[in-house]
Amino acid sequence: MEQHTHKKLYTTHAWIGIISGILLFIVTFSGIPALFDHEIEYWQYPAYSEQQNTAEEQTPFNLELALQASKDLNFNHENYFIQPADKINNHVILAHFSEGKEPDLRYLNADSYQEFPASPSELNHLLGYLHTDLHLPRPWGRYIVGLSGMAMLLAIIAGIFIHVKWRKEFVMLRPKRSWRLLLTDQHKLLGLWSLPFTFILAFTGTILGLLGLISPILALAAFNGDVEKATIAVLGPKAEVTGEYSAVYPLNELLDRLEIDLPDTSVEFIQVSGLKIINRQEKIEEQRENELVTDVGGIIKFSGYHKDKLSNLETVTYNLSTGERIHQGSFIGKGPFQRIFAAVTPLHYVLFGNTWLKVFYALSALAACGLILTGNMLWLHRRGHGMKHWLSKSTLGICGGLVVATSFTFAASQVLYAFKFPLESGLHHLSEEWLFWGSWLVMIAAPFIIKDGFKLSHYFLRLTSFALIITLIADGVFNQRWLWFSQGWVFNIQMGILISALLFIYLDWKMPNQVQQKSNTNIKNSNPDPDQSASYMPQESNQ
Amino acid sequence: MSLINRFINRFINNNASKNTAAILGTLITTIALTVCITLLWPFGNVIEQIFAGGTFFFVFWASLFYWTVLADTGKQAWGRILIILLPVLAIDIFSLLQLSFNLPAK
Repeated sequence: MEQHTHKKLYTTHAWIGIISGILLFIVTFSGIPALFDHEIEYWQYPAYSEQQNTAEEQTPFNLELALQASKDLNFNHENYFIQPADKINNHVILAHFSEGKEPDLRYLNADSYQEFPASPSELNHLLGYLHTDLHLPRPWGRYIVGLSGMAMLLAIIAGIFIHVKWRKEFVMLRPKRSWRLLLTDQHKLLGLWSLPFTFILAFTGTILGLLGLISPILALAAFNGDVEKATIAVLGPKAEVTGEYSAVYPLNELLDRLEIDLPDTSVEFIQVSGLKIINRQEKIEEQRENELVTDVGGIIKFSGYHKDKLSNLETVTYNLSTGERIHQGSFIGKGPFQRIFAAVTPLHYVLFGNTWLKVFYALSALAACGLILTGNMLWLHRRGHGMKHWLSKSTLGICGGLVVATSFTFAASQVLYAFKFPLESGLHHLSEEWLFWGSWLVMIAAPFIIKDGFKLSHYFLRLTSFALIITLIADGVFNQRWLWFSQGWVFNIQMGILISALLFIYLDWKMPNQVQQKSNTNIKNSNPDPDQSASYMPQESNQ
Repeated sequence: MSLINRFINRFINNNASKNTAAILGTLITTIALTVCITLLWPFGNVIEQIFAGGTFFFVFWASLFYWTVLADTGKQAWGRILIILLPVLAIDIFSLLQLSFNLPAK
């Protein structure tokens, strides 16, 4: 590669990183808890683990019992979702979403179909929503996340081309040399080792974030720009409400038919549209024997993941009154581009493989966080900027602050059980939110008060590990879930928290207390020692 | 002629113009290219056409971005954008008109 091409790629890589780095860190770091959304949700509320069945095998899902329970609970919506129990949670969720309102969510035990109170803690939603939408109004937050994914993708592409000596860089770490060389080596090591995963995460994240933005473009050719029509063609029809009602087709028979229509697929969501629950008065007026009736245009859609395929999203839609199959969506055996798109969500959220693969993804995301931080620090160090530079302060405050705020919120989710806030008050969740945003804000302000960046970084690392250990202690004290007595997913999450705490203690121990800052004069002058030179030199080993 | 040259040198042939080409020009060209691919993709059904467009959108965006960034001058960067954009726009307009008036293909 010619030197001027190399230089242009290098400059582009650096500027993309600098412009989008902090945002990318927020999205990437919050992606780690988002990856374990279900697992964290299960851990954060002890009542979920209390729903576990002591029998070895899970009770088969009974759709009719779930609907009967929804009727008893006055869950009177014509459009809603049912999420059956899965490998982690032994409860059924009934969910109705309407724009501009809080969702109506009900939780049922998967064996008895009795309702139990919803989780007072919403830790998983708080962190998950930060990853997907940055807590900004929809869809703008998602577009920004998508654009940051695109920036990451572009930075990765340039990064691949500028690292000409990648075989050597795969194993090169010189901790005893200069601070800048250490940062350079760490940046390259983290980048190279996590490359396949960060590339996949960036590519799939970009598609997920920007799909809403490009959908009208894609729908232009085949559907005259009608996105809804295109969505129906891909995902199946919606209910056509006619106002005419009939008896509901036996729903458990439909469940049995899934064995044939969706073989080797675990059903994750059931969408019910057009189902109506007739109360007693209406029942007398309409002279119906069955209390569950459906609009003749009502539908029930089963969605799930194929157990053996990567492009694993499978759907089947039936008419609620006749039981007729009206749409089947499967990407298996379809064209390459349909399979690529169907693989996007499974690849991004690891909806295939096992838990160890998720752990591997989480480690790669952590490596990407390190990559972003070392990239920013390198850029600043090469220009001789210390902690006085606003970018240094912002990087430390926003990125380090997010880590601290996340650990504080983990601790708060358990400590707040001591106050036993009434569920309807929402104070538990509200306190979590306040603590998260408040502590993050304080951490963002901290670099503007404490001038020593290294000292502050040590404080951040210690605070994070301390909060994570407090989380485990609070879980033991208030929920009687001590690490050595717990089992299953609670134990796995607690171990994850403990390992994270130890990792932050290790980082605190290994991080230097200060680094000799070079003067700007030295940087501007050419230096014969390549380790000390800050100018652009692609031919040298330290680049 | 010298006026055009002066305009090009002042407004087009600089780094800001090159960056605009890399960000804005690339995005517009990518959209046009995606519409083109979605309209003309010869394999599979209409859903395959849509997803082909969707996949190529990101591939085109990244490729065009670096093609313009690697240009030496703003003029060259815009030249690279226009050399793709103009024919693709012509194809898009012709194909969409054909669709609107239900003209037979070929």
